[in-house]
Amino acid sequence: MATEQKREPHWAMVIDQERCVGCWTCAVGCKEINNEPLGVWWNRILTASPNEITGEAAAPSPAAPASDNIDVPHGVFPALEMDYIPVACQHCNDAPCLRVCPVGATFRRDDGTVLIDYERCIGCRYCIAACPYGVRVFGWGQEKRDPDFTVGYGRDYRTDGGRLVFTPDRPTGVVEKCTWCVERVDEGQQPFCVDVCPTGARVFGDAGDSGSEVAGLIEQGGATRLLPELGTEPRVFYLPAKPERSLS
Amino acid sequence: MKALTRRRFVQGAAGAAGVLTVTGGLRYLDDAAPASAGEIRGTETLFRTGHSNNCDGACGHQVHVVDGRIRLVQGAQWDQTTIAGDAAPQYNPRACLRGIAQIQNTYSPDRLKYPYQRVGERGSGRWRRLSWDEATSIVAENLQRVQQRYGRKSVWIAPYTGSLAVLEGVVGAGFRLASVIGASAGDFEGDNEGDSSTPAGWNYVLADPDLTAGGIFDGHEMTDFLNAKAIVLWANNVAETSIPDWRIIADARKAGTPVVSIDPRFTPTSAKADLWLPIRPGTDTALIDGVINYLLLHKAYDAAYVKQYTVAPFLVDPQTKLFLRRGKSYLVIDAADGQLKPVEQAKDPDLYGEHNGAQSALTLLAQAMAPYTPEKVAAMCDLEPSQVLQLAELWAKRNPLAVRAGFALSHWGRGDLTMQALVTLQSLAGNIGTHGGGITTFAGGLTTTAFDLGNWWAPKGTEMFTVLEPMDACGAMLDGKPYPVRAAWFMVDNFAQQMSDRNRVVRALKSLDFLVVSDYVMSATADLADIVLPACTYLEKTDLLSSNNYYLQYMPKVIDPLWESKSDLDAITLVAGKMGYGKYFDKSPDEYLQEILHIGDPKADPNVRGLKWEQVTGGAPHLNTPTVPYVAFANKQFPTKSGRIEFYVERLIEYDQQLPGYKVQLEAYRENPLAQKYPLTFLSTHTRFRTHSQYVNLPWLKEINNNGEGFLEINPVDARRRGIADGDVVRVFNDRGQMKVRARLTEGIKPGVVNCYQGGWDTIRVKHYIEGHPNNLTHQIANPTQSVIPNFRSNAAYYDCLVEVQREGA
Repeated sequence: MATEQKREPHWAMVIDQERCVGCWTCAVGCKEINNEPLGVWWNRILTASPNEITGEAAAPSPAAPASDNIDVPHGVFPALEMDYIPVACQHCNDAPCLRVCPVGATFRRDDGTVLIDYERCIGCRYCIAACPYGVRVFGWGQEKRDPDFTVGYGRDYRTDGGRLVFTPDRPTGVVEKCTWCVERVDEGQQPFCVDVCPTGARVFGDAGDSGSEVAGLIEQGGATRLLPELGTEPRVFYLPAKPERSLS
Repeated sequence: MKALTRRRFVQGAAGAAGVLTVTGGLRYLDDAAPASAGEIRGTETLFRTGHSNNCDGACGHQVHVVDGRIRLVQGAQWDQTTIAGDAAPQYNPRACLRGIAQIQNTYSPDRLKYPYQRVGERGSGRWRRLSWDEATSIVAENLQRVQQRYGRKSVWIAPYTGSLAVLEGVVGAGFRLASVIGASAGDFEGDNEGDSSTPAGWNYVLADPDLTAGGIFDGHEMTDFLNAKAIVLWANNVAETSIPDWRIIADARKAGTPVVSIDPRFTPTSAKADLWLPIRPGTDTALIDGVINYLLLHKAYDAAYVKQYTVAPFLVDPQTKLFLRRGKSYLVIDAADGQLKPVEQAKDPDLYGEHNGAQSALTLLAQAMAPYTPEKVAAMCDLEPSQVLQLAELWAKRNPLAVRAGFALSHWGRGDLTMQALVTLQSLAGNIGTHGGGITTFAGGLTTTAFDLGNWWAPKGTEMFTVLEPMDACGAMLDGKPYPVRAAWFMVDNFAQQMSDRNRVVRALKSLDFLVVSDYVMSATADLADIVLPACTYLEKTDLLSSNNYYLQYMPKVIDPLWESKSDLDAITLVAGKMGYGKYFDKSPDEYLQEILHIGDPKADPNVRGLKWEQVTGGAPHLNTPTVPYVAFANKQFPTKSGRIEFYVERLIEYDQQLPGYKVQLEAYRENPLAQKYPLTFLSTHTRFRTHSQYVNLPWLKEINNNGEGFLEINPVDARRRGIADGDVVRVFNDRGQMKVRARLTEGIKPGVVNCYQGGWDTIRVKHYIEGHPNNLTHQIANPTQSVIPNFRSNAAYYDCLVEVQREGA
């Protein structure tokens, strides 16, 4: 990977909520490429209202509990708002999951990708409790898949001195999550969610390269991160949708 | 509301993990056995194909196959050039969640695996497995027996739109079979059960059926929306139902193009739009009339365009209401000298000319539209007058303005009138045949003109099949009108669930002497069959997709047919052979495609002229469209009698619809006395989780979509009045039928309107609603006006439907 001549990239992802229409294609693509079992989602899309991230959002519909459902807008007819927050591993600079892991199974590569070594994980699930974003999933050994054969990347991937960071059938009793498709990114491809996003809402790249699109989008201002007050410093940035809409 | 909390994310995670129990009890017939499970290792092969499953996306798929099994589906690249080598538009790879989930669809445990024959009562769900030889012999014998007894047309072939490919589906081999055996068949345009009324209205104004072999329909290539200065999404939830198209709308928005969403529901599209108009459903024509009136009053129309390309200056005889003619010439007043003369001799045809009481078409339009003031329109459409004005001003100021009109507008009894009004409006604005303008509901209509479909459907020595519309099918089965139909063959067509007035449909199908259904799942229609034949999905057969865009997408056989499934073409070939017509089905799919595409024919249609077979199989070339991106009528030559846009429609005088003044719908309108009993307008819209009744039962999609269970969207105002709480089981009913489903309270729907996503299964084994299906409520009331356009002469008005809702047990 990194050589003395070449600077290590510092990966980041930007999600443009103005473009995201909550279609879940990224999440279904994630399931396919990673051979995720039924009921397991490394990537989910919350239905929110604009600026929910920054706290300036309209009140949820009084028609509770429907407003917890997807595609149910906030507000009262016809003054409505609706937006989407795709949530997967935030690849935090200061990741609580990594801090609590007693065996060093969760680690961060030099390029910022937070990964789990499936051979080292002991299934204690401290990380699931620690993660404020709810993006980690535990394999109980009861998982079913459909189709009942392996789909997606389909083979093991090791990195950083042979650590097993992807395997299509995760061993029972380990925690799994989004890897930013490290096996693809290392070969110069995009994470699959970026690749399949039908609206071009996801941008992935080297934030350390000031000429990259991802750096430009972060630099231009207005990008927010989830739960910034926790100081986790996610590497996933959200460009909020325009709160005001008008024809001019 | 406070900022996001940690609880918000963790709750969501619990929700996601809580849906593990999704697959119980839904397996059909034999257990799933797509060979043995195991590690995929081996050589990876990549295929490019087109996703033909009857959504208007027409995505290109890159399919990864390892050792004969599909491992991954993603968007594929498009050729950068046309057939002739000119530059094609920049078109991104496209796929949506349904396309990616196709891997579950093809390997689904719900797949029909073998031919079966019914052994119990029709619809009892008891079957006996057959060999293909036995099954096709039974089909051949029964079709022959029925034809001998009741006449050749008494067999109805329904090769529908479960697929939009060429060899199978909407223009597919079923029609060839119908011609060969002299049967009737659903016609290739009108068979889109609810998609015919707006095309009819488009033809009224833009294309005379006598000059276009019964009617045509086309739009603008999607990339042309980047040329628009404003985009109006009329009853079109692009962001949910044509997701990859949203990328282009989003690009346009980013460049400063405002986007309007007109929809009674607050959809993902409305959420992103710069203006949302929550219109009262069914009143769209009035809103269009209001905009027309504004443009005429404020002289904000494109006068030069109107003068040159429309019938605006033509004088209309007040007695006959026909255009004043001298010989073949249309008469106008020449503003240069005030004289009456043929239009081609007038220096400056007067838009508001008058002669002996004969007024110009534009004058008559202005008179007809005058009542539609912002205040009146607002009251009719349940909008604010300021909203009507906002839309009208947008039309006046932003040029060109592009409209995407959803097929939702076509699900109304008077969808024809709505489209007639919309075309009239767009012609006043100079937006027909103009880059960045137009009205696009469907793009890709060149298929029907550029290809040799005539010989494909009726090979030499046979006569073209007799058209029997879906709207006429039940009458033919139940009452023998217009002639008796006693046997039917449905091919990837879930007529018993997806056609309106379903109770009547089921009665009609049960009355048949013989029913054969080809499908890849055990559909509600297959439940009623005498013989079911297992069909392939699009990945298991060779075909070509050229619909909904202007590319040719070859569909190679990516994997061998699973279990004993066969392509419809293979099934038809077997049956035709046993009926003695084997000579008409003696070619391979590639050979048929070469004929249909005019490969090597120097007189081929210009759009495909010079096409080489290697171009077809080697990529996805763009047609040689007259302009890139394609724009319907870019040459401003209109196939009408006058050669102009005929917003004054002589053909409709007998229906008093020569001008597009608002008329009430057939059922769902406020003034209808029936609304006292059934006050709610019932919509049955699409969702991103299915394409009609396809994909509904796929676990990945069900997990995100309420476990696949249908629900009724109802505004809390309407719910409160009926004592309905979120999650309550409700009965939705009218005089035609009922369904039961849970209520979902949402502010995202207009009061007075309820919605239940259509397409969920109501089969013997799988029920996505508690009882019934939305089509238990819809009707088959036809609008006779449409009959003037033969290719679009009847339409199922799914949304033109009134219901009442009650809490179950109340």
